[in-house]
Amino acid sequence: MNESQPIISIRGVYKFFGRLAALENIDLDVYPQERIVVIGPSGSGKSTLLRAVNQLESIDRGTLQVNGSDVSHPKADLNKIRMGLGMVFQNFNLFPHKTVLENLTLAPIKLKKIPREQAEEQAYPLLDKVGIRDKADKYPSKLSGGEKQRVAIARALAMNPQIMLFDEPTSALDPEMIGEVLDVMKDLALEGMTMLVVSHEMGFAREVADRVVFMDEGRIVERGTPEHFFQNPQHPRTQKFLSQIL
Amino acid sequence: MSHAEQRAQQSNPRDTEEETGQSKRIEVTDSAAIPDKSDKGLFTAWRVSCFGAIGLIILLCSVKPDPYLDILLFVPDGVLVTFEVTMLSIVLSLIVGLITGLGRLSGNAFINLTASTYVEVVRGIPLLVQLFYIYYAIGTFTQIPPFTAAIIALTVCYGAYMGEIFRAGIDSIDPGQTEAARSLGFSRWQTMYHVIIPQAMRTILPPVGNEFIALLKDTSLVSIIAVSDLLRRGREFATSTFDYFETFTLVALIYLLITLFLSKIVNIMENRVTPYE
Ligand SMILES: Nc1ncnc2c1ncn2[C@@H]1O[C@H](COP(=O)(O)OP(=O)(O)OP(=O)(O)O)[C@@H](O)[C@H]1O
Ligand SMILES: [Mg+2]
Repeated sequence: MNESQPIISIRGVYKFFGRLAALENIDLDVYPQERIVVIGPSGSGKSTLLRAVNQLESIDRGTLQVNGSDVSHPKADLNKIRMGLGMVFQNFNLFPHKTVLENLTLAPIKLKKIPREQAEEQAYPLLDKVGIRDKADKYPSKLSGGEKQRVAIARALAMNPQIMLFDEPTSALDPEMIGEVLDVMKDLALEGMTMLVVSHEMGFAREVADRVVFMDEGRIVERGTPEHFFQNPQHPRTQKFLSQIL
Repeated sequence: MSHAEQRAQQSNPRDTEEETGQSKRIEVTDSAAIPDKSDKGLFTAWRVSCFGAIGLIILLCSVKPDPYLDILLFVPDGVLVTFEVTMLSIVLSLIVGLITGLGRLSGNAFINLTASTYVEVVRGIPLLVQLFYIYYAIGTFTQIPPFTAAIIALTVCYGAYMGEIFRAGIDSIDPGQTEAARSLGFSRWQTMYHVIIPQAMRTILPPVGNEFIALLKDTSLVSIIAVSDLLRRGREFATSTFDYFETFTLVALIYLLITLFLSKIVNIMENRVTPYE
């Protein structure tokens, strides 16, 4: 797998909020079809890392490349780059003024100039995939949290992204709905989707992740396979963190 | 001076600049004129005023047709002008307001400062003075027809107020909406157009309705610069017949009726805006 070029290549990246280093000298490569799960305590910079990848957050130092193009370059075509990066948020952020179907078709119609009928034709299989086809004409306010998140995943997939970024996709959900969202994510992983996931669902990490990255105070403190992490984590902070959440 | 009082009554976002920064909603408190179904007392007050005004006009015209009926037949031209001025000004000020609101939210320091300064300056000068300024002061360089001057003054003034409403409305939308749209690949403008503004519209509608009614009442000021609106027509009648009491009683009743009528329409429009479902 490592012979191919990384989709995402992060080198020596820093991000400051005032004097606080939210990201400190981050190096990370994400290869095609790789699944990386990022864990770490609150405020450790996990969201900032994910948001830096699609430049919802600018970076202050270092380089961050997606498919070889520098996203932090002033002339980077961010809108184009973002079309290839699907993002799923903790709070879903569905468009409340659009139906489920319209949530999926808005971006393809407006950005890829796909005719409406064709966009809808492509949206229905995605709704099937996330098990929510019967709600196609409902507005998001009528959905449960789990359903909303599954729609949000389908909306991101509708742009046919090369990689999916998930920022704690299940942490705003009631416990009984977490499973249905994780199942959708597992299916995606099985299909070979490249995924960068911030999540504290350790079962998911164990089952799906190729690599786990542990962050603390803006740094990547430890990285390795799930086995490594759950059997013999090296760094004392990793050990402490895992003992708290497991 | 009624203008100033009424301005003070309205606690629209323009008055609560500091507040809107933090609390993410538009205050819609005032608008004594707009009836609300849930508020039984006000609803009754609306009916009493409305049917009272109609009844009184009919009564006055039938009991004392001279001069009341003559007045009633004399002023409709003015009502038409009042409507024209209101409609043109509201449409134009909505456009100016949208641009101003976007400017106030712009990350570009120059655009932001320009828009903010415009709002600040306009809010600091009474509408009547603005009206005089455009008609008489600028009129010393290029003669502006009174009707045009009236539209420009009202647009400039209400554009600033509308700008504040648009700004607050756009500001009230969860930043997560922008992030979701941007992460899909929408540009800043596409995000505004497809995602933010459609949602902001419903927050904006009630205060815009208030402005609409306030503007209609403020159009009476343009009678001073020789625009033959309702008030002007009334004055023309009164100065020739000396029926000041009768004329202005009727003019007041007609303004009241128009405002009540409009507030009803605004109210109906607001009730049409149901949650997305
Ligand atoms: N826009 C911002 N302005 C200022 N500080 C910020 C901003 N965003 C994040 N931070 C700070 O940067 C640090 C990293 O935040 P980040 O959201 O990346 O953490 P996280 O690992 O995702 O935490 P959580 O598990 O709570 O989501 C935190 O200390 C946070 O307070
Ligand atoms: Mg986070």
